[in-house]
Amino acid sequence: MAAVGSKPGVRYTAGALRAIIVLFLVSFFMFPVAWILTTSLAQRIAMFKLPPQLFNQPTIKNFIYIFTQMPVLSWTMNSIIISLGTMILSLLIGVPAGYTFSRVNFTGKKALLMVILLTRALPTIVIALPFRVIMQNFGILGTHLAVILIDTVYNAAFTFWLMSGIFESIPEELEEAAKIDGCSPVQAFLLVAVPLSKPGLVTSALFAFIFSWNDFLFALTLTSPESATLPLGMLSTYGILQQGWTYMAAMGVVAIIPVVLLSLLLQRYYVSGLTFGGVK
Amino acid sequence: MGTIAPFIKTKKNRSLIWFLLPITVYLLVFFLYPVIYDIYISFFSFKLGEKAVFVGLGNYQAMLADFQYLGSLKTTLVFVISTVSAELLLGMIIALLLNNEHRLAEGIRTIILIPTVFTPLVAGLVWKALYHPDLGMFTYYLRQFGLDIGRGLTVERYSALFSVVLVDVWEWTPLMVIILLAGLKSIPSEPYEAAMLDGASPVQVFFMITLPLLRPTAVVALLIRTLDALKIFDIIWAITGGGPGTVTTVANLRIYEVGMQHLRIGYAAALSNVLLVAGVVVGIIFIQLLYQDLFKEKKV
Repeated sequence: MAAVGSKPGVRYTAGALRAIIVLFLVSFFMFPVAWILTTSLAQRIAMFKLPPQLFNQPTIKNFIYIFTQMPVLSWTMNSIIISLGTMILSLLIGVPAGYTFSRVNFTGKKALLMVILLTRALPTIVIALPFRVIMQNFGILGTHLAVILIDTVYNAAFTFWLMSGIFESIPEELEEAAKIDGCSPVQAFLLVAVPLSKPGLVTSALFAFIFSWNDFLFALTLTSPESATLPLGMLSTYGILQQGWTYMAAMGVVAIIPVVLLSLLLQRYYVSGLTFGGVK
Repeated sequence: MGTIAPFIKTKKNRSLIWFLLPITVYLLVFFLYPVIYDIYISFFSFKLGEKAVFVGLGNYQAMLADFQYLGSLKTTLVFVISTVSAELLLGMIIALLLNNEHRLAEGIRTIILIPTVFTPLVAGLVWKALYHPDLGMFTYYLRQFGLDIGRGLTVERYSALFSVVLVDVWEWTPLMVIILLAGLKSIPSEPYEAAMLDGASPVQVFFMITLPLLRPTAVVALLIRTLDALKIFDIIWAITGGGPGTVTTVANLRIYEVGMQHLRIGYAAALSNVLLVAGVVVGIIFIQLLYQDLFKEKKV
């Protein structure tokens, strides 16, 4: 720590002040996280205590209750199906396009890029309502597929953008060598470029999963009770939630654990994804 | 292939152009078509389940007299400006505090990202519980500190919007921190060394060196956050549902009500097109910046 103050006393005070501010800010950001974890493990009666308690006698009753007495398992399954579906579809259409974009020059390149990137700028409500009408006309309103299709619009664009940057950084000579050995351009892509772009693939996959998992508005406009995802399910039990935050907290923990773990494990990739590749 | 060949500028890898087909078709069907449909239907009076009647600019005329919607646009503007500026300011302070190689700073950088990955609806419900007028922990401690918050932050008209802004600040400031930290790291050390030799004060160093060099990063961060703040829905839906009254009803909520609850699809489309224009304008500025950056490096 290279403090600017020259006298040891000044430096010490500045350091302590900085530590106090940081501690205060960190507790602001972590407090709700701690709350949801401890509340999910608390007795129901704990929520009526004043002053409110952050630490209570822990119990796993809430988790047992939500999985046995509420359709949490099926909501979780719906969330998993939609998130995995979005992930696979986004990779399938985004990765090859990103590759071509980094390897071939063609007219309309900038226009295509514009359209693809504008998906990021489009407010979700603008597309959600017409999408509902269109899905109804297709006869797939209320299915997992309807949500996968709209989530993929947002994610394929991201996958494409990220992957074109990744492929750009892979030297073309490797693929040229493979072609001399008799590979077709498609084989060179599949056998040389794709294996070399693993970090990009991981980021794209992670992002598609998190985006889909956390989505609420699209699920709200496009699912039926049978295909409802976790956030929707949580909201639909609001009447019960008013009697017991402990159940709500337990469901919340089920909802956030996968994404929190994924983002912590793959933190470096996660940050580049959040900024749409703007920060690496 | 013969038909597209003239558009391809280089000879090699020509067959790869087919890789663009899936995403092009996909975006035409599931992105451009809904957007065009949205614009088209905004010229019709169309209630779900009834026949669409062409009304020309009728919906847009009605919009100009729709005080509920105009009010929600104003709320959106206040929400976007206050969240984005608060996040930038707070993010800047935290980034400067965390900008060192200390182990603790590293650790904080990791965990501070957790709010950004929180399912927004879950974040909303957690904060709703913390804000509970009688039993909420946050409410309790605010009162303990002697703050007069009336019946509670979320239920009083004067503080409800602030309460949802605070949650957005909680969720997205960490992203600002991480982006600005990356920007700080990319600033070379020479200007700082020169300033040290000249005896500049830390405040001078910040305003004369750090801030100007950090500006491009801050602009990108600002645009990303603005685009996302324009999409705000989940948190407000969970915490206040737009109330009390319509104090926290942002445009997205109002459009949802009109479209999904009153089923007035045509009118909802007209309302949403205001946001479409806003998003596209900010988006194009953002893309131009990214594009300059990208093609400076690639020289395509």
